[in-house]
Amino acid sequence: MRHVYVILGLLLLLGGTACSETGSSTLQLSSDADLAGLTVSCTAGNYYEHKYSAREDVKVFACNSEADAVQAVRQGLADVYVSDEVVLSANALKQLGMKMALRGEESFDVAFALRKGNSSLLEQLNEFLSSAPLDDILAHWLQDGPAVADPVPPAGEKKAPLRCIVCVNLAPVSYLGEGGQWQGMDPDLLRRFAASQGRTLEVKFQDLGSAIVALETGQADIVSGCLFVTDERKTFVDFSMPYYECHPAYFVLDKASGTRPDLKSRLTMNFVQEGRWKLIVGGLCETLKITLLSILLGTLLGVGLCAARRSRRKWLRSAADIYGTLIEGIPTLVLLLIMFYVVFAGTGVTASAVAVVTFALGFASSAGSIFDTAVSSVPRGQTEAGLSLGFTPLKTFTGIVFPQALAQGLPLYVGECVSLLKTTSIVGYIAIQDLTRASDLIRSRTFDALIPLLLVTIVYFLLAWLIRRMLNFFLVKK
Amino acid sequence: MIVIKHLSKTYNNPDGSSITVLKDVNCEIGPGEVISIIGPSGTGKSTLLRALNMLEPPTGGEIWVDGENIMSRGYPLDRLRRKMGMVFQSFNLFEHMSVLENVTYAPMALLNKPAKEAKEEALELLRKVGMAHKADVSPASLSGGQKQRVAIARSLAMHPEVILFDEPTSALDPTMVGEVLSVIRQLAKDGLTMLIVTHEMRFARDVSTRIFFMNEGIIYEDGTPEQIFEHPVHSATKAFVNRIHKLVFEVGGEDFDFLAMHTEMTRFCIKYNAADKAQPAADVTEEMLLRQLPSIRPLPLRLTHTELSGETALDFMMEGRSESPLTEEGLPESLRARVTNVIEESTSRGFRIKVLL
Repeated sequence: MRHVYVILGLLLLLGGTACSETGSSTLQLSSDADLAGLTVSCTAGNYYEHKYSAREDVKVFACNSEADAVQAVRQGLADVYVSDEVVLSANALKQLGMKMALRGEESFDVAFALRKGNSSLLEQLNEFLSSAPLDDILAHWLQDGPAVADPVPPAGEKKAPLRCIVCVNLAPVSYLGEGGQWQGMDPDLLRRFAASQGRTLEVKFQDLGSAIVALETGQADIVSGCLFVTDERKTFVDFSMPYYECHPAYFVLDKASGTRPDLKSRLTMNFVQEGRWKLIVGGLCETLKITLLSILLGTLLGVGLCAARRSRRKWLRSAADIYGTLIEGIPTLVLLLIMFYVVFAGTGVTASAVAVVTFALGFASSAGSIFDTAVSSVPRGQTEAGLSLGFTPLKTFTGIVFPQALAQGLPLYVGECVSLLKTTSIVGYIAIQDLTRASDLIRSRTFDALIPLLLVTIVYFLLAWLIRRMLNFFLVKK
Repeated sequence: MIVIKHLSKTYNNPDGSSITVLKDVNCEIGPGEVISIIGPSGTGKSTLLRALNMLEPPTGGEIWVDGENIMSRGYPLDRLRRKMGMVFQSFNLFEHMSVLENVTYAPMALLNKPAKEAKEEALELLRKVGMAHKADVSPASLSGGQKQRVAIARSLAMHPEVILFDEPTSALDPTMVGEVLSVIRQLAKDGLTMLIVTHEMRFARDVSTRIFFMNEGIIYEDGTPEQIFEHPVHSATKAFVNRIHKLVFEVGGEDFDFLAMHTEMTRFCIKYNAADKAQPAADVTEEMLLRQLPSIRPLPLRLTHTELSGETALDFMMEGRSESPLTEEGLPESLRARVTNVIEESTSRGFRIKVLL
């Protein structure tokens, strides 16, 4: 028990040490030629990465998300963060202690992406965009005015919801606002569009790559997120009419801006504002649900697999062998993506169910071999003694062999369960808001890397410890 | 009660070869009989026992128990085994249960005995085997002899009609063999039907009503202890019950390695607790081979030791001769004084000189 306290203490200590910055004057830019010799952060795979990778005098720091790219500048890993001007509102910039150093000359058409050939939806959307008061709506969000969405009453008759994926998680484009609801320019526009069609809007957050796959496999209707209309993209998706003209923006640290927030205000910002703790709680429930269901299903499958491995029929043994080898050779994340985008694509099975099935498949493989090894470790003589007393083979197994195998295999089994808990942290890839994803979402709102990550670390750690204690309590007697 | 007809068991190896352990076993076993199964190792004694309760299903023949062929398809083996207990060489106590639970488990689970009754009876049985004082301990803390006594109590708890003992003392320290054998002796007195595979000859002779001598996969000789141990019909039985051990040489030409032969003889004598016979054996062979019979080659030579009588002898067989080939003086007096007896006889195969050391 004592070592748990020691570890928690160390983690909290880590949280207390805030990183300080080197003070110097704010970077000045007058054109993008001034970027020579600087490091530029941006989101991997977007237009800016291509553009500046081509320039030899600029170093590119490509990040996983816009939030990470912003963070790179704040951590001193890059000098300039380049993106679309709309990704950071004036308010957000102030909060971050950053400012826009330069607005680029280029301009791009921004539009929504639809599945190729979905012409009826495209028509409806274009009709809506051409008649809607676009300028007013955009201005409302860009000026970071009151984050109050306009009333959009859904129609009486029931229609399928409009399924939308947003690829940007930054105000004012799209972000998780008050009460865990997606807000911002894009969700607002789409919500109005959905309302005009008498439908409700369902929003998910995924990175662009997987969002396009989801679009193609029919798991989403619309993808948004400051998508530039390019010829290359047109070969894969259909674009709506442009609803915004976007300029690049170059953001730098504003050294003149105020002090960094203290620990207390950071905690408030990360967990209290906009009810963000609810994201953590929701994520925790999702993580627990997926973990426990996967363990349950995986254990059942594992028992079957163990029986197959010990079967007298050769083909069953071979099948179990092949299964084990196959699962062993596929990274869990890859398996998860295959299951979600290929196997269960278009079947209407929820992402959580896909995750449970995927983890159960992996868990079954290891649990199966743990059970097999445990049963093999019970000497043959125990079975013979049971049989010779008059027990049936089944009763001999359940009453004599199994209890002894349990004692052998349980420590390994519990370890496997704990390891599964940690593996579930990858479900964010298929847009499930688990614990890890919750911290990501908070992070991209508050741009505070340390506190949310630290919190989920502590929560995972306690969960792992708790699961171990619980399983040991229930299963290991004596 | 039990009738075995033409029972056979063949193991097929993965490489396609096969080994026949039981060739053709036939016998009848009646109630109250105590049968010891003896014989050299690898002759199918344990396999026969394990075939009887179908732990090792035979590949041919029939086993009839109480008028039913237990090898017929669908025969309820669990019911058969309830009336046919087994005690194993390696005890096989249930390691996850206490001594008492080991004894009560089967009656409670299979005979639906109430816990209290099962416990009382188990304690009674444990008392019978002298293990009641260890009722609550784990089997892991018991000695081999104690484990085996608990295993016997566990088997008795099912009130079997027969108990099969598969080398019950082979895994025990010599000091613990006695405690287990005395329990089995007591059971025999109580009239329980038992089949015992054992290497304890004196025990087999004392306790059994009948002995099976197994050799080469069949019941080679079947009779009362007196018949088998005193008047065995077959030479293999005789050699086995008297525990006769042999060391055979064929003395060849000039290159024969006498020193190696002596070393082997010495090792043989030490192995069978007859180390004092090693030197006389060496001296006698030297005298015979080098001085008395130097011209007779090849010369078969046999050193034998009979464990039961403690007799060690050297045999020289001169094939095709009818008269003693010894020199006029014969063996020197000094040597004769050191051996027990010298027998010279003419046999159908040739002239034989046997020196009892």
